[in-house]
Amino acid sequence: MKKSIYTNISKRASAILLLGILATGCEKRLDITPFQSIAADKALLSEGDVNVTLVGAYDGVQSASTYGGDIMVLNELIGNTTNINFTGTFAGLSDAYQTQMVSNNSFATGTWASAYNTINRCNNVLSAVDKITSSPARKNSVEGQALFLRASMYFELVRLYAKTIGDGDAASNPGVPLILKPTSGVTSADYPPRSSVKAVYDQVIADLIKAESLLPSTNTIYATKWAAAAQLSRVYLQLKNYTEAGNAANRVITGSGKTLNSDFAKLWFTFINNGGASPSEYLFSMVVTAQDGTNSMSTYFGRAIGSIPGTNGRSDCKIKAAHLAQYETGDVRKNFFVLSGGNYYTQKHLDRYGNVPIMRLAEMYLTRAEANFRNATSVGATPLADVNLIRQRAGLAPLATVTLDNITKERSLELAFEGLYLHDSKRLQQSVGSLAWNSPKLIFPIPQREMDVNKNLVQNTGY
Amino acid sequence: MLMIRKSIVSALFCCVLAVSALAQGKAVTGKVSDENGAPISGVTVLIKGEKTGVNTDGTGSFTIPNASGKTLVFSAVGFESREVLANLANLQISLKTDTKSLSEVVVTGFGGSQIKRELTGNIARVRGKDIEYMPTPSVDQALQGKAAGVFVNAQSGKLGQAVTVRVRGNSSISANSQPLYVLDGVPITTNDQSSYGGDMNPLTDLNPNDIESIEVLKDASAGAIYGSRAANGVVLITTKRGKAGKTSVTFNVQTGYAEATKRIRMLNSQEYAELILEGAAYRDKLAGTPTTDPDSWTAYVKNDVMDYYSYGQWSKDPTKSYDWQDAVFQRAPYRQADLQIRGGTDKTKFFTSFQHLDQTGTIIGNNLQRSTGRLNLDQKANDWLDLGVSLSLSRTFNRRLPDDNAFSNPLQAIALMPMTPFTDPGTGLPAGTPPGDANIPLYYNPVLTVNYGKYTQDVYRTFGNTYLKAKLLPGLSFQTEFGMDYLSQNEEGYFRSETVRNQTTAVRGSGSNTGTFITNYNTNSYFTYNKTTDKHNLNATLGMQYQQSQAKYNSTSGQDFPSNSYQKIASAATKSGGSSSQTDFRFLSYFLRANYILMDKYIIAASGRIDASSRFGKEARQGFFPAVSAGWILTNEKFLDNSKYLSFLKLRASYGIVGNAEIGNFPQLGLFSGDAGYAGNAGQRPSQLPNDSLRWETTAQADIGFDFGLFNNRITGEIDYYQKQTTGLLLNVNIPTTTGFGSIIKNVGKLENSGFEFVLNTQNLVRAFKWSTNFNIAFNKGKVTDIQGQIIEGGVSSMNRVEEGYNVGVFFTPEFAGVDPNNGNALFYLNTKKADGTRDRTTTNIYSQAQRVVVGDPNPDMIFGITNNFSYKGFDMSVFFNGIQGNQNNIYGMGRYSSASMLYEDNNTADQLRRWRQPGDVTDIPQVRLFRVNGSQASSRYIVDGAYVRLRTLSFGYTLDSKTLARYKMDKIRVYVSGQNLLTFTKYPYWDPEVNADSFDSNIAKGNDFYTPPQPRTFLVGINVSL
Repeated sequence: MKKSIYTNISKRASAILLLGILATGCEKRLDITPFQSIAADKALLSEGDVNVTLVGAYDGVQSASTYGGDIMVLNELIGNTTNINFTGTFAGLSDAYQTQMVSNNSFATGTWASAYNTINRCNNVLSAVDKITSSPARKNSVEGQALFLRASMYFELVRLYAKTIGDGDAASNPGVPLILKPTSGVTSADYPPRSSVKAVYDQVIADLIKAESLLPSTNTIYATKWAAAAQLSRVYLQLKNYTEAGNAANRVITGSGKTLNSDFAKLWFTFINNGGASPSEYLFSMVVTAQDGTNSMSTYFGRAIGSIPGTNGRSDCKIKAAHLAQYETGDVRKNFFVLSGGNYYTQKHLDRYGNVPIMRLAEMYLTRAEANFRNATSVGATPLADVNLIRQRAGLAPLATVTLDNITKERSLELAFEGLYLHDSKRLQQSVGSLAWNSPKLIFPIPQREMDVNKNLVQNTGY
Repeated sequence: MLMIRKSIVSALFCCVLAVSALAQGKAVTGKVSDENGAPISGVTVLIKGEKTGVNTDGTGSFTIPNASGKTLVFSAVGFESREVLANLANLQISLKTDTKSLSEVVVTGFGGSQIKRELTGNIARVRGKDIEYMPTPSVDQALQGKAAGVFVNAQSGKLGQAVTVRVRGNSSISANSQPLYVLDGVPITTNDQSSYGGDMNPLTDLNPNDIESIEVLKDASAGAIYGSRAANGVVLITTKRGKAGKTSVTFNVQTGYAEATKRIRMLNSQEYAELILEGAAYRDKLAGTPTTDPDSWTAYVKNDVMDYYSYGQWSKDPTKSYDWQDAVFQRAPYRQADLQIRGGTDKTKFFTSFQHLDQTGTIIGNNLQRSTGRLNLDQKANDWLDLGVSLSLSRTFNRRLPDDNAFSNPLQAIALMPMTPFTDPGTGLPAGTPPGDANIPLYYNPVLTVNYGKYTQDVYRTFGNTYLKAKLLPGLSFQTEFGMDYLSQNEEGYFRSETVRNQTTAVRGSGSNTGTFITNYNTNSYFTYNKTTDKHNLNATLGMQYQQSQAKYNSTSGQDFPSNSYQKIASAATKSGGSSSQTDFRFLSYFLRANYILMDKYIIAASGRIDASSRFGKEARQGFFPAVSAGWILTNEKFLDNSKYLSFLKLRASYGIVGNAEIGNFPQLGLFSGDAGYAGNAGQRPSQLPNDSLRWETTAQADIGFDFGLFNNRITGEIDYYQKQTTGLLLNVNIPTTTGFGSIIKNVGKLENSGFEFVLNTQNLVRAFKWSTNFNIAFNKGKVTDIQGQIIEGGVSSMNRVEEGYNVGVFFTPEFAGVDPNNGNALFYLNTKKADGTRDRTTTNIYSQAQRVVVGDPNPDMIFGITNNFSYKGFDMSVFFNGIQGNQNNIYGMGRYSSASMLYEDNNTADQLRRWRQPGDVTDIPQVRLFRVNGSQASSRYIVDGAYVRLRTLSFGYTLDSKTLARYKMDKIRVYVSGQNLLTFTKYPYWDPEVNADSFDSNIAKGNDFYTPPQPRTFLVGINVSL
C-alpha cells in the first residue's frame, strides 16, 4: 500500500510540473500594443509619416464641425431671420438662429474643439517638415499646406469667437489662444490665455503669406497657392485693407488660370452630376465621398427631393420668399431654389455627398470689384466689368454703371447661403435682424467647458 | 500506520474525508431518502466522534464498516442533519429538506465554498430556483430585488438591452461600474458589442434556467480574491451539475403575451388644435396681425400645419384623432420551452439542458429568439483524479430597434400630431411612404423603418470550461481549469428606399454587415488544502489566473441595390464603407486565501491577490489587493449556548482593498491613429496623450455585520454596515481642447459609499399551510468627495453632473419656480449665492440669470425586495414586490418637445391643458406661445420623482398529487400562471420610471427618459413535467 501511494504521488507531481510549465512565461504576455494606433513617439519619423499626418490635417478641417459645413451653416444662421426660416430641432442651431446662444452651445463647443484639434495636427506636420527630404518643392508644399490649414482655422475662430474688426481696439480685444507647437503632454503652458484679435490676425496673415509663397499652383484636391491667396483676400477684406484684399483677389484671378463656369447650376451637385469632382471654379473645397466626409451644409440646408435622386437633408433651413424677391427677373440664381412641401430650399446644398465649396472664383471677382471701387482703382479690371461678369453668368443684362450697393448686393446673391452672411454683415456694419452689427449676441461664447477647465480664459460679453 | 482495506476502498473511496479508523464492530448498511421517498446521493455518513465516513451512492445506499451500535451522523447539503443510533443492520433514513438559509453552501470563487454560518465576508446568494422560468431574457434582470444592496435597472423595455447593475453604489466615475461576472470560473464578456441602437447585454446568451446559484461578492473580503476587478462587486454564476441517482427529466413550457406597462395621455386633435391656435393667437397679438390675416400665425397653423399634416382632413373633420401610441405598441406573444436532464452514477454525473425562447417586443419591430444547449459533465477518472467539462452553446437572434434618440425609434411617434392619420389616404400606405408625400407626418414616421427596414443581430456564443482535479495528499488537492468564452456575432441591416427621409443613406436602399469575434480565454490553477480536527478547521487556496481577451471586428456597408430583393452587400452598386479592427487585453494574477475556524466559534480569514494588466503602464501595472476578516459565533459560546430564542448569532467584520481596471484597453499610451484619411488618401492623427503612471482605481471597504437566527432558525437574518472609499479614480480629466485633445485619463479624485443592508428570512407558517417571507432592504449613500475641480457632465442636455459632496451624476440645472399668475411667464429661482452662503430665492423669467443647482439624484437611496411564498397541499403562490426610493428621473428628453407649451408642433402631454390662460390663473404650466420658449428650457420642471414599488412577479401554481402520478411513472406535474410587472405604484408622469435612455446611458448619465420604451407587463401560463 505504501508503495502505491508514493507511485501515485510521483505521478501526480509530474502532472503538476507539466501544468506549472504551461503556466509560466505569462508575464511578458502583458506587453501588447494596440492595433489601430501606433506609439506617438514612433509616428513622425519619416517623410511618409509627415505626408500622412498632413492628410490627417485635411481630415481634420473636413470635420462637420468646421469646413465640413458647420462653420458656414452657423455663419448663415446667426440672426439671418430675413432670408432663412430655421425649423430644425437641434437646440444649438436653433439658439444661434434666434441669437440666444448660451455658453454651452453644442455647436460653439464642437467647432472650437474641432478647429484646435486640426491646429494640433497642423502643428505636428510643421514640427516635422525637416523629415521631408525627397525634394525642396515637396517640403515647401507640405509646409505651405499645413500653414494654410492652420491659418484658415485661426481666421474662422477669431471671427466667430471674438469682436469683429472695427468694434473697439483689435490690439486689446481678446481673440483666441494661439497654439503654434504640437501637444505631447499637458503642462501649465497648455492653459493659455486669449491672444489679442490683432495678434491672431497677424499670425494668420504671416502664415498665409508664407503659404502662398511655398505652395504650388496646382495640387490636385489639396490647397494651392491660389487657395492661400483667396483666403488672404478674405482676411484683408475683413480688416478693410482693400488694397491688399484686391491685390490678393487679383493674383488669384490672373494667376490661377481659372475661369468662371459658364453654367451657374453646374457649380453644384458634384456627386450626383459630376462624379465627385469639384468644378474648376472652386478654389478650395472639401471633397466628400460616400465613404468619407460629411457635407453638413447639406445636412441642414438639404432635403430629400423626390425628383432629384441622391438629395437628402433635415429640411431645417427653409428659404423665405423675401429672399427670392431680391433677385431680378430672369436671374438663373432665382431658379436655383426648389419648392417642396410648401417651402423653398436652396439647391446649393441638396447633394448629400456634394463637395463643400470653401472659396470659389466668383467671390474673387466681387472682392476685387469692391476693393477697386472703394479705392477708386482698377487693379486687373474695373469694378463694373467684374460685376457684369457675374451678372452675365447669371443670365442678367450688364449694368451701365455700378455703385457699392450694386457690388454688395451682387455678392450677397451670388454667394447666398455659402457661409458669408454673418461676417459680411459685420464688415459692412449692417444690422443683423434687430441687432446691431457689433452686438455681443452675434459673437459665439467661449465654450463653457473651456472656461471651466482653463482659468486663464475670459468669457465674451453676455455669457 | 494507515491500513486500508482495498475491497472497501474500491467501493467507497468517493469522497472520504479522512481515512484512519481501524476495523472493529460490524458494518451497517442502509438507504437515505428525502421526505418524498426519493433517494439522496452524496449524503455524508459519519460515526459520531470518529472520522470514518462514507457517502451514499446514486440509489441513496451506503455501507459503513465497524458502525454497529454506534451513533451515525447523516449530513447533506440542503438537508437537515440527523443523528441515528445504528441498532439495525439495515437502516432506512429520511432527511428533511433544510429550509434554513444558514446551512446553505455559498460559492466563494476558485473552487471554494463555505457554509453560510461560517462566512466572514458578505456574499448574497440567489438560488437558481428562485429565478427560474422568469420571462426576463438575462440573468442580471432576474436578480432585481433578490439580493440586498444589488441595484438593477434595465435601460428600457427593448429586448436584450443593457442592464445597469450596481453593487453597493457607484464606485467609479469614468471607469465601468458594472460588476465582474464569472461563469463557472471564467470571467465572461458582458460589455455591449452591438453597432446599432443602444447597448446590448451579452448576458442574454446565457440560459438563466441553467443556473444553480448566483453569488454576489459584495465586500472586500469576499471580493479580494478577484483583486483588481472586484471593486464593483463580483457575480459568480454556477450552473447546475449532475447528481448520482435516478435520471430526472424535466420539461417546462410556458406561453403568454406582454404589453407595455403604460400609455401616456396625449392631446387629441381637438385639444391639440385648441392649444396650438392659442399659441398662434398669442404670436399674432404680439405682431399686431389679425388672426384672420392670411399671413397670420393662425392661418399658418391651420393651413400649413394641421391641414397639411392631416392630408387636408382636419378642416373637414376636426374631431378625427389618432393616438400614435396605438401605431407602435403591440400585444406581444411570448413562448419558451425548456428541457433539463440530470443524473449520473458514482463516477459519471451529467446535467444537460435545451431551451428555446421566442419573445416579441411590446414595441413594433422588436423580437428576440434564443436557443441554447448545455452539457455539464463530471467524471471520476480514478481514485485521485476528477475531470469534467461545462459547455454551453447558444444562438441569440435579435431584431433590433434604433436607439431612443432617433426619429425611427417607434416611441417617437408620440410626437406626431393627433390629426395625422396612420395611413396616407392617397396611397393606402403608412403615412409618409413614397410615392405619397414623404414629408408628412411632422417627423419621420417610425413605422416605415419597421415596415421597410430591418436590423438583426445574430450571436453565437460558447461558454466552456474544462477542469482536472487531483488529490495529492490527504487534504491537499490541485485543480487546473481551462475556460473559454467565444462570442461570434453578425449584424445585418437593410433599409429600403421608403425609409429615405430618415434611415437609408441612398436612393435605392442601403445595407450593412458587421462581424464581431471575441475570444476570451482563461486558465485557473490552484492548490487547495483542508485540514479538520476537533478544534481546528483550516482551508487554504493558492493559485494563479491568466486571462486573455481578443476582440476582432469587421464591417462592410453598401448602397444602391438593383431592387429590394437584393439585400446583401454583394449586390450594392457602391460599397460605401468597410473596416476591420482589433483590441486585446490580458490579466495575470496570483492569489492566496485562507480560512481558519477555531472550536467552531472563532473564524479568521485572509486573502490577497497580485494582479497585473496590459491596460496600465509597465511601472504601474502591478497591484496587491489584500483583505482580512473575522467572525465570532456567539451562540457556540457557553453564555449563549442555552438561549431560548436565539438559535444563532455571529458577529463578523472585514476590511480589504479591491480595484477597478475597466477603463478600456491601452489608456496609458500616447498614440497616433490611422483613421484620418481624406478623399481616398490615407492619413493619421494624434489621438491620445500618454500617462505612464496610470494604475488601478482602488476601493478600500470595511464591513461589519451580524447574522442571526431565532426560534430554531425559523427566523434568520443579516444586518450589515459598510463603508467604501474609492481613491485614485480612473478619471477622464478634461483638458483645454486648445491642446487638440479633450481629456486624459488620470488617477484623480475620490468618492465614497456607505450603507446598511438588512436581510430577513422567516418561516411564518410551517404546517400544511406554509408561508415564508424573504425580505431584503438596502440603504446606500454615495458621495463624490474630490474631483479636483473637474466639470463632468452627461445625459440629456448635459443635466447629469458630477459634483463634489453629491452622488455621481446628480441633476444639475436651474430651478423652476412655477408660473407668474400675472402674465403666464415661466419663472426660475435665481439661486445665486449670497454673501452669507444662502441662496437668493428671488424669481426671474430670464432663464440665463438662474443659477444651476443640484435638484435631483438618479441614484436610489433605498432599494428593497420582498417575496412571500405560500403553499397548501398542491397549491403554491409567490408574490414578489420590489421597489426603489429617493431617486429622480429626467424627462427633459421628451419634455422639451412634448410638455413644452408648443415650442414645437409636436403633440403635447395632456397636462399642458392646464396652462396659464389669463391674468390671475394659478398653475404650473406656462402660457402657450407658438415657437417661443416659455419654460421649456432645461430645469427642475423636468426632474421628476422616479421612485416606484412594483409587483414584479405574481405566480400561482398547482402540483398534482405525486401518488397519482407515480402510476404513470411521473414525478411531478405543475401547472402555473404568472404575471410580471402587473402593478406599478409610482408618481412618474411618463411611461415607466425604470429607464436609462440608451442614447445617453453612461456611468454618470442615469435616470434619463428619452422616448424610452417602458417595461413589458407579461402574462404567462405554463406547465412543468418531471419524469
